[in-house]
Amino acid sequence: MSISINDAKHLIESAWLLVAVPFLVGFLIILGLHKSKPLSMMISIGAVGYGFIHALLIMLSLAQHSDLGPWQVNYDWFTATNLRLCMGYLVDNLAAMMLVVVTAISLVVQIYTHGYMKDDPGYSKFYAYLSLFTASMLGLVVSTNLFETYFFWELVGVCSYFLIGFWWQKESAAQACLKAFIVNRIGDFGFLLGIIMFLSITRTLWCESPILAYVSNSGRDLGSIIIQAYNAHMLTAPMLSVIALLIFLGPMAKSAQAPLHVWLPDAMEGPTPISALIHAATMVAAGIYLVARAYPLWLTPDGSLHSLGLTVIAWVGGFTAFMAATIALSQFDIKRVLAWSTVSQLGYMFVGLGCGAFSGGLFHLFNHAFFKAMLFLCSGAVIHGLHGEQDIRKMGGLFKSMPITAICFLIGTLSISGCPGLSGFFSKDEIISASIEHNLPLGILMIVTAAMTSFYMFRLFFLTFVGEFRGHGHPHESPLSMTGPLMALAIPSIFSGYLGVNLPALIQGRADTSFFPSFIHFGSTPIFEEPNLSVMAYSTIAAILGFVLAFMIYKAKSLSFNTAIVESKNTLVQIAYKFSLNKWYFDELYLTILQKFILPVYKKLWETVDVLIVDSMVNLSGLIALGLGEIMRYFQNGRAQFYAFIIFFGVVALTTYAYYFVIMP
Amino acid sequence: MNTPLLPHILTTLFVIPLLAAIFIAIMPAKLARYISLSSFVAMLGVSLVMALGFNYNLAGMQFSEVYNWITMPFQVQYHVGVDGISLCLVILSTFIFLFSALASYSIGDNRPKFYYANLMLLSFSVIGVFISLDLLQFFVMYEFELVPMYFLIAIWGGPGRSYAAMKFLIYTFTGGVFMLTGLIYMYTQLGVDNASSQTFDMIRLAQICPLMPQAFQTMACLGFLMAFLIKLPSFPFHTWLPDAHVEAPTPISMILAGLLLKMGSYGLVRICLGFFPYFFLHYGPVLMLIGAFNIVWAAIACMVQTDMKRIIAFSSVSHMGFVTLGISAVSAAALSGAIFQMISHGVISALLFFLVGVVYERTHTRDIHEIGGGLTKLAPVLFYFWMFACMANLGLPGLSGFVAETAVIYGSFTGFMATIGKHAHMCQWSVYLAATGMILTAGYMLWLLKRLFYGDTKEKWINHFAAIRPLEQFIAYGLAIMVLALGIYPMLVTKEYVVTSDAMNLSIVQRATIGCLDNNHKIEISKINLSPKLNSAN
Repeated sequence: MSISINDAKHLIESAWLLVAVPFLVGFLIILGLHKSKPLSMMISIGAVGYGFIHALLIMLSLAQHSDLGPWQVNYDWFTATNLRLCMGYLVDNLAAMMLVVVTAISLVVQIYTHGYMKDDPGYSKFYAYLSLFTASMLGLVVSTNLFETYFFWELVGVCSYFLIGFWWQKESAAQACLKAFIVNRIGDFGFLLGIIMFLSITRTLWCESPILAYVSNSGRDLGSIIIQAYNAHMLTAPMLSVIALLIFLGPMAKSAQAPLHVWLPDAMEGPTPISALIHAATMVAAGIYLVARAYPLWLTPDGSLHSLGLTVIAWVGGFTAFMAATIALSQFDIKRVLAWSTVSQLGYMFVGLGCGAFSGGLFHLFNHAFFKAMLFLCSGAVIHGLHGEQDIRKMGGLFKSMPITAICFLIGTLSISGCPGLSGFFSKDEIISASIEHNLPLGILMIVTAAMTSFYMFRLFFLTFVGEFRGHGHPHESPLSMTGPLMALAIPSIFSGYLGVNLPALIQGRADTSFFPSFIHFGSTPIFEEPNLSVMAYSTIAAILGFVLAFMIYKAKSLSFNTAIVESKNTLVQIAYKFSLNKWYFDELYLTILQKFILPVYKKLWETVDVLIVDSMVNLSGLIALGLGEIMRYFQNGRAQFYAFIIFFGVVALTTYAYYFVIMP
Repeated sequence: MNTPLLPHILTTLFVIPLLAAIFIAIMPAKLARYISLSSFVAMLGVSLVMALGFNYNLAGMQFSEVYNWITMPFQVQYHVGVDGISLCLVILSTFIFLFSALASYSIGDNRPKFYYANLMLLSFSVIGVFISLDLLQFFVMYEFELVPMYFLIAIWGGPGRSYAAMKFLIYTFTGGVFMLTGLIYMYTQLGVDNASSQTFDMIRLAQICPLMPQAFQTMACLGFLMAFLIKLPSFPFHTWLPDAHVEAPTPISMILAGLLLKMGSYGLVRICLGFFPYFFLHYGPVLMLIGAFNIVWAAIACMVQTDMKRIIAFSSVSHMGFVTLGISAVSAAALSGAIFQMISHGVISALLFFLVGVVYERTHTRDIHEIGGGLTKLAPVLFYFWMFACMANLGLPGLSGFVAETAVIYGSFTGFMATIGKHAHMCQWSVYLAATGMILTAGYMLWLLKRLFYGDTKEKWINHFAAIRPLEQFIAYGLAIMVLALGIYPMLVTKEYVVTSDAMNLSIVQRATIGCLDNNHKIEISKINLSPKLNSAN
């Protein structure tokens, strides 16, 4: 389909509608439309459906007329003499890609919600929250500057808070939403401080142009300003590192990277469509998106990739990917296994960005969004079919009763495990080869993690869909409104990988242009990596190894060392197992610190200072005034003799004083 | 400058509550509420008309009126006028008073005449503080507020009302004594060299005082500062506030948090900052630290409370810390943020106290454990208002608290004190400390929300907890819409005061260079003037 340049221009200029329409819809539902369920559903889906088409058209326009982007508009939002904060919208290739991901996933999830939440009393409210979330996320995507990103960043977080705590009567949900918000707030704290420190150093350089802009054509964007500040000796490399690491706390919390990852698995207390939309495909990718958007911040001031910022990003991502994979090995809740796998895959994306594979990391984000959303929606269909059961020990053999779900789940599993030919394979491979090139130990860690990924995903698949049914009741396939979205997502889960590779070139082992890297890249020219066939071989072998192990244990049952591990008498093995089962004891650690240390100390501190010292002093001064009055009133009793007595002794005392101290010396 | 179109508009605004109070006293008790409500509507109308006729591009006083009041032995005038800052606070006052009068339905038959008359007198004194341009008149208005407030707490308050009212009285009165000391000291010292410069005219004082020697400025400012810090309230003078709040009836809590605290912060801006810039240039870092500590300390106190009203009360203390921080940072952005925080916190805290009142009216307990959670089931709409108010309080973008806090944190980090001042590092650390407040605030607000509304419902509330009524909804909507409007488009109010606040900030920095300061400081000031940073910054 070809779009004329004028149409393309109009499409891009009206991009603000993408954000405004779902916001409006969300408010309309809250303010009154919630009384009608079908109407709420229809306008909500209608809004996001429109958004999807618009986003797709924007992406096509930019692909055909590359000179149109980046395109932005800014409005003043808060001004004081030395502060001019702007809000606006920016459309470029990166934003367009993300717009498509968010609207596409949001669309299928909203259709799916109709089936999943049909009988819930909060059906309309759920659509309102979904619309508000979509709007905030789209706002985040089209933000023109760091400050605006921060603005929507928090709005996205609060929508996530509403949705995790959607079933407010559940104590676990109430705790989970609280935890999610506060952990994210810790990240936001760093984010805000980082922005402000950066601004305080560079504030004179922005002049009249919007501050903290990502792109600009007058040389006042993040990258150019950093270079200018560096050349003017206002900014040094260590200062930039401190700022970058503070800002990175934001992505760490939002994209669930260790040690701020603890909220994401608990966020699974929310309804499953939310897990798919927010906690797998879109919101958690916001951290990756921010790192990519503000990429110059993490480089060295002169633009080199070998910076402290990127190294930290890579290692945090690598560690998280590994840790989350080890935890996923032993979990029993179907959604939590997927949640840990999300944490792990997000780690991969950070490794990609941290190792300089800019396009690769974002490509993984793109692919992961589709197959992980599908996996979550499949798990939702399973839970729906089993009337709320989430424990995989009580599942099994579901292939027969829900074939569509099972096949989709299998596609997702193959894709995430890195089965050659499916989308996950291509993007994960780019990340692994970049990490091997950049830092060999990290690369090896990534390959080991890939093997574990394949193992736990197939373990999940076998325990859920293969073998004998171990639960109660009669599992059934879900209605079309739920299976339809699954099938729709299966298509990109298989094929989206081909956007990023040039198949003939790949087979011949040479570098050549392909759509994704030439559409999204850092710097002025796209880089096409030469396919590294040996890396592909390693990671494929790792994936196969994981699959074979899972097959032998859970399908063929020819190996039983899983039970051996669980029942092992060897303390070391026990410790390792417990460590994985209990999620490396992060929750316990944090809770102990909070309950045994912070809160008691606060209480003691407050009781000592406010109650004991300050209030006692106030009461004491009151008492002294009262006491003085009590004493003084005896001097005012109205008896003349007493007054004469006082006068007499007063005179005596004064005379004595005068004699000894004034006259004598 | 007297705008010919609107003659005597400030006097009108000033006189309405006084007349209404007298009117209420002589009319039947049944009419008290309606008289009070209609005069608040009239006041809101007058203040909005004033806002329409206001020229935003001028930094000086507008709608001024001057009449001689006392001529011997010293000159005292009836002098009123508003600039951008006071105009915003006047509108805020009329707005909050209207809503708190609406929220006074629970007073019912409990001596309504006396109650509403007191409410009118209270509004008279609050408006008086914000529009007075004669220092003695300001002082009288500032002190006069004690009388109705004492009765409002001591008669219509909760079980511990007499202790609370007395504590409030003693604290504020002590503050008043300090202010009087400062006032007399200032007046006598002004006459030492030149008797003709003795004046209570605040416009004149703002021109004369900054030129006086540093010792004079420090001493005089200390007196006023003590009074305002007690009112604000700031650590360690804050313990009156939780007690007063907890015992005050709901509408009075709304006024107390929404407006009375703002009298303290207004005094800080108008008098301490306007008259005695030296004090801020020299002791600003200490004040910044106090402000930052206030934020964190009150937030810590919130964490350990089990009384929901006490949590909101401490949260007010915490948020007023942003005002202290912003004012003392000597930065246009921070000052603008501090003023925005006054307005934003005025609305948000009124909303929160109102919502606490709605819950308390139904449960008759403020203890969180006794309420036990799960109220959503009984009053879902109330839950949404609570959620909204909590989000506003913890500074969610799109709501007004965020704008203020961001501007203050940014401004104080990039302002004079934290970049060029003597103790720049200490100031920067104060800002870091203040920023941790945003984590703590999220913690205690959401924890409160969870303990009230999430989880299982206690058996005893079922059928004993009515859903939110239309009048309550109306009040909550009114305040919530204001919060949202200020958050989405902050220029709605910033455009009214930004010229004034920028001029004020500029004059401080300029005066710092003129030379009322010691040599040591002069060098530093000259250093900044050469640096390109200041030119763009201020």
